[in-house]
Amino acid sequence: MRNRIGVYICYCGSNISDYVDCEKVKDIAAETTDVILSKTTMFACSDSAQNEMIEDIKNQKLDAIVVASCSPKLHLNTFRNVAQRAGLNQYNYVQVNIREQCSWAHSNTPPQATEKAIKLVKAGIARAKQSQELTPMAIPSTNSVLVVGAGVAGMRAAIELAKMGTEVFIIEREYFVGGRAAQWNELFTTNETGREVVSRLYNTIMEANNITLFTGADIDSKTGSVGNFDVKLRIRPRHVKPDCKLDWGKFKKAVEVCPVEFDDPFNFGLTKQKAIYKNFPSEFPEIPTIDVEHCTKCGKCVDICDKIDLDQKEEMLNINVGAVLLTTGSSPYEPKTGEFGYKEIENVVTLQQLKRLIELNEYDLIFKGKKIKNIAYVYCVGSRQVDGENKYCSRYCCTSAIHTAIMVKEKYKTINNFHFTRGIRTYGKQEALYHKASKQGDIFLQSFEDSPTEVYKENGHTVVKIKDILTADKELEVNTDLVVLVTGMIPRKNDSINNILKVPIGRDKFYNEIHPKLRPVETVIDGVLIAGACQAPLNITESVKSSLSAAVKVNSLISKGKIELEPTLAQIDKLLCNWCDKCADVCPYSAIVKEVKNGKMFAVVHEANCKGCGMCLPVCPSNAIQLIGYTDIEIESMIEALID
Amino acid sequence: MDGKTTAPRILVFSTEKISDPAIDLAGLLKKHYPPTVYTINVPCSSSIKSKWILHALDKGFDGVFIAADGTDCSFSDTCTERTGELVQRTHALMKEKGIDPAKLKMAAICSVCSEPFVKHMKNFVEALAS
Amino acid sequence: MVESKEYDVLVIGGGIAGEEAALNLANIGYKVILVEKDLSIGGKMIHLSKVFPTLDCGACITTPKVSETARHPNIEIFTFSEVQDIEKHAENDFSATLIENPRYVTDDCTGCQICEEKCPVVVEDQYQWNLVGRKAVYVPFSIANPRIAVIDIENCSLCGLCEKVCPANAIDFSQVEKKSTIKIRSIIIATGFELFDPLLIPRYGYGKFKNVVTSMQMERQLVPTRPFNNVLRPMDGKMPDNIAYVLCAGSRDETVGNPICSQVCCMYSVKQAQLLMGALPMADVTIYYINIRAFGKGFCEFFQQAKGMGIEFIKGKAGLIKEKENGNLIILYEDIQQGNVKEAEHDLVVLSVGMLPNTDFTEIFKNSRVEQDLYNYVNKVDELCCPAKTNIDGVFVAGTSTGPLDIPDSILSAGAASAEAAGYLNGGVK
Ligand SMILES: Cc1cc2nc3c(=O)[nH]c(=O)nc-3n(C[C@H](O)[C@H](O)[C@H](O)COP(=O)(O)OP(=O)(O)OC[C@H]3O[C@@H](n4cnc5c(N)ncnc54)[C@H](O)[C@@H]3O)c2cc1C
Ligand code: SF4
Ligand code: SF4
Repeated sequence: MRNRIGVYICYCGSNISDYVDCEKVKDIAAETTDVILSKTTMFACSDSAQNEMIEDIKNQKLDAIVVASCSPKLHLNTFRNVAQRAGLNQYNYVQVNIREQCSWAHSNTPPQATEKAIKLVKAGIARAKQSQELTPMAIPSTNSVLVVGAGVAGMRAAIELAKMGTEVFIIEREYFVGGRAAQWNELFTTNETGREVVSRLYNTIMEANNITLFTGADIDSKTGSVGNFDVKLRIRPRHVKPDCKLDWGKFKKAVEVCPVEFDDPFNFGLTKQKAIYKNFPSEFPEIPTIDVEHCTKCGKCVDICDKIDLDQKEEMLNINVGAVLLTTGSSPYEPKTGEFGYKEIENVVTLQQLKRLIELNEYDLIFKGKKIKNIAYVYCVGSRQVDGENKYCSRYCCTSAIHTAIMVKEKYKTINNFHFTRGIRTYGKQEALYHKASKQGDIFLQSFEDSPTEVYKENGHTVVKIKDILTADKELEVNTDLVVLVTGMIPRKNDSINNILKVPIGRDKFYNEIHPKLRPVETVIDGVLIAGACQAPLNITESVKSSLSAAVKVNSLISKGKIELEPTLAQIDKLLCNWCDKCADVCPYSAIVKEVKNGKMFAVVHEANCKGCGMCLPVCPSNAIQLIGYTDIEIESMIEALID
Repeated sequence: MDGKTTAPRILVFSTEKISDPAIDLAGLLKKHYPPTVYTINVPCSSSIKSKWILHALDKGFDGVFIAADGTDCSFSDTCTERTGELVQRTHALMKEKGIDPAKLKMAAICSVCSEPFVKHMKNFVEALAS
Repeated sequence: MVESKEYDVLVIGGGIAGEEAALNLANIGYKVILVEKDLSIGGKMIHLSKVFPTLDCGACITTPKVSETARHPNIEIFTFSEVQDIEKHAENDFSATLIENPRYVTDDCTGCQICEEKCPVVVEDQYQWNLVGRKAVYVPFSIANPRIAVIDIENCSLCGLCEKVCPANAIDFSQVEKKSTIKIRSIIIATGFELFDPLLIPRYGYGKFKNVVTSMQMERQLVPTRPFNNVLRPMDGKMPDNIAYVLCAGSRDETVGNPICSQVCCMYSVKQAQLLMGALPMADVTIYYINIRAFGKGFCEFFQQAKGMGIEFIKGKAGLIKEKENGNLIILYEDIQQGNVKEAEHDLVVLSVGMLPNTDFTEIFKNSRVEQDLYNYVNKVDELCCPAKTNIDGVFVAGTSTGPLDIPDSILSAGAASAEAAGYLNGGVK
């Protein structure tokens, strides 16, 4: 039992003290038995307050401290460090959350918030009294990582991790790398093409000898935890042998003889493709693949090329990694049928389709046999929805649409661009593009969310109508030959990964980080990190920044050979245990085994396997199991303090 | 309401990685729930002992709420099942002792379920008060 | 000749970006020297009230980072210091001159502030954006790190009172500038941004009309350690009840030489407006804008929340501000939705000033220049793939030195810089 306890009540500037009478809480804490000192502080986490605590611990010989401040998710480690620096065991520190779970949650009823804070602090003191000195467990970690998704963000993280000395496995669900960027021509801000970027990254990956890339690959299952994940990969057949050196002549012939034809998703259905394909010449890896879903296994192509192997089977591969980095990116929003005339009016396309169209049309922009003269861009499709679910702004699309409009003007000179916006968001230096588009004569119109832009057919014309606030709320109608829906980003569908890795998903359906400022690329699952557009809509540079941030975090986490973990372990009292095997049965990590000594059978916890979930605790009929840090006496004394 | 707490008192068992962040989020968004709700957090909702629940009810809590990990549990996909079982066992024990089983409730609270949490708390306090 | 000290990385600038980069590298095991020009690390962020879009308090996020940086065994910090004459000799081989300015107060200072009480000289306090005064000897601000005093020698009358009263005998008028040479293998520029000076737009009357303030001054009035413990208007100390925000003040404006968007002012204005609704429940807040750039994660929702709270948004750029006798202000603006020029009266006007580049980096390199981009920020030579790479191999850039960024983006940018630096230090792809 600890009996020289120090208590600190934080004002948190005014976040706590505006609603909780901190001085009162401090005074009541001071009267609690075994509390030697009780203080308030403006910012408990500030350096000066930390130093003061250290002095107090040393001078007053405190054997436990309690800080009542914000959520332990923010500062548990901060104050554990304080304890350590003062020579106190870090587990003799207890944090009480009187901000998120008290002052803010009850800011409408300050007196009750104060009452609650008093009880919470008392419970914290009770827990501190019972706290034990513990040492964190050090578990070995493998200096290797699995990067999921070989888009620009994933490939970029892989390269930097390899440079830092971490071994990388990178998997891509598709048969070619590059993700969305490979589909784009010039990219905004630098005008490098997406393809150039992808080929640069792909070549570096191929040169590095500590990066292994798998295409057509998924995660099948995962066991283990941070430092030591065992991941089973499912690698789908490509039906082309890996030693294929790609002979274009043969490939073209093979494509010719293939009898299967369907809409090409790479060109967003603008063109047709065969079952054996490659989207464009310098696509990586530089070998074709066969679309198994459409292939009829007729064997015509095999006759032409002996590198084609229709009998290839799915393979399973086990890898061991210290961490997993998700860079699964986003998808373009797919408008519903009829949304701004999509799929109902023949000349309504998405921005993605327009980009492919520009690439496919050299001199004039021709769509469905008609030369295009007026283009209407309808912004925020699938974003900033008033009625729909997607309340967020997709961030990249204003700039992307404007950048595309500039390309259109430069390539086809006579086309007129009309932008039907909800207020242009070319933040930062991207503003220059907006400026340029306005200067080249593009027309910008804007409506508010209460009167959305409409697209309809009238007398054979496709008309876009807006209540334009830029011209004093006038209703304007524009006849156009092509309506371009500026679609936003939605997270890629990834149910299998979500089920296997269990990364929390936010209200916007993107993956959620722990804290956007403190831990922006980490998730609540230790060792599983997220980066790029799977986290929120981001452009390429932004995705790369976040994936490099994740790379540096991964490296510092797993490169030291060991990771410190909480010593939260189950402990079994041999004397009380009569070996019924109930605990061994429920333990998800097979950490409990039977032991026999002097004829008595009892259960023992294998410490290296125990993850401290505590699932075994409630099933023991003799209450022989205690979880370190959550023992009966700790929990029950807290309960008593709360109800006091 | 006056300064004294007369409303039903609820003990919430939350979990460190899943439901406690949701309860924090409720505070962050200043979504109010009754101040007689107190939280103790544990690693996983399947680790809660009946003994603790009974202790709380015995000492004067009017209700106990388990903010379970649900399918988001990072430890095991058996979590929901195990938590369900422990609630069942505890309900049985409560009946034996003549305690109304309605005093123990459970619901899965995901890491961003601040709104559902607040609703659960309001409803539970109301139900216990009547 | 003293041996020059050696480090793996030099981080220039101790704002949120510099700290994050230093911590990332130190956590891997590299030895870092962090040089900060100002008296405290923490950059602009340490002075902010609450930060969008999560509304957690600026200090709650910075202070722990600041203190983690300050006591990391692999990081050595020099505040009130500068580097000059950075020279590259070969890959992984740079040298620089480190200049430590004299504080005239030694490290023995405990920050007790007794000297401040006695000092007879009062000048404007730059850390409260001149809203209040301070003494010639002063502890910069309450959460400064290091929290030790300094003598503002330009304003000091050399009366020596502080020396007499200091219980720690920490006052030392004999201190002089210290110069030394350091050797480093890699460099991260994180010198941050400058605020736009609203004096450059005379028609807004800043500096002339007392009740026209900048957003940074408003930020200080909203922090917990605020000077007046309330929001007051400068002229008469009255609580304002009709506040206007003028957005894009000094941004998106070729006439003041800053054509780009500052990317943070829309959102911080929306934030401040929400905080004002909390601090002054009876007040009206109006925001005059061109476009609201609520683009980031959670921003749109944050903007909607502000509208829901009753904050008024008017699409229109303020053309001219006039002052009435009672100190109230008349804003002339073009109401875009109605298509006419209008007038509105407010009792406090906040100019949402934008970001400008801090061009210090152009002067501290000796035998090769760090390139600037079109807008005078550090040029990123491979923006898409290596967003922290500059024209000099081994020199990287983080945070708002690259262009306008908010805090989450500054942190990610610092992450990228530290990753690229770590890759460089470890010798590249093998
Ligand atoms: C009024 C206002 C409100 C804001 N509110 C928010 C908000 O709510 N949320 C949000 O996300 N963002 C907000 N921002 C933006 C935020 O302030 C920036 O994103 C962030 O501070 C940038 O950090 P930085 O480290 O890049 O730059 P800085 O904070 O400018 O740090 C640069 C550091 O480098 C030092 N330095 C400069 N030159 C040298 C040199 N030559 N040698 C050594 N050191 C040097 C400086 O002294 C400084 O400490 C706001 C900005 C303003 C102006
Ligand atoms: S970036 Fe522009 S088009 Fe995209 S959702 Fe945001 S406001 Fe709409
Ligand atoms: S962020 Fe908003 S206020 Fe700032 S310059 Fe851009 S548009 Fe103007």
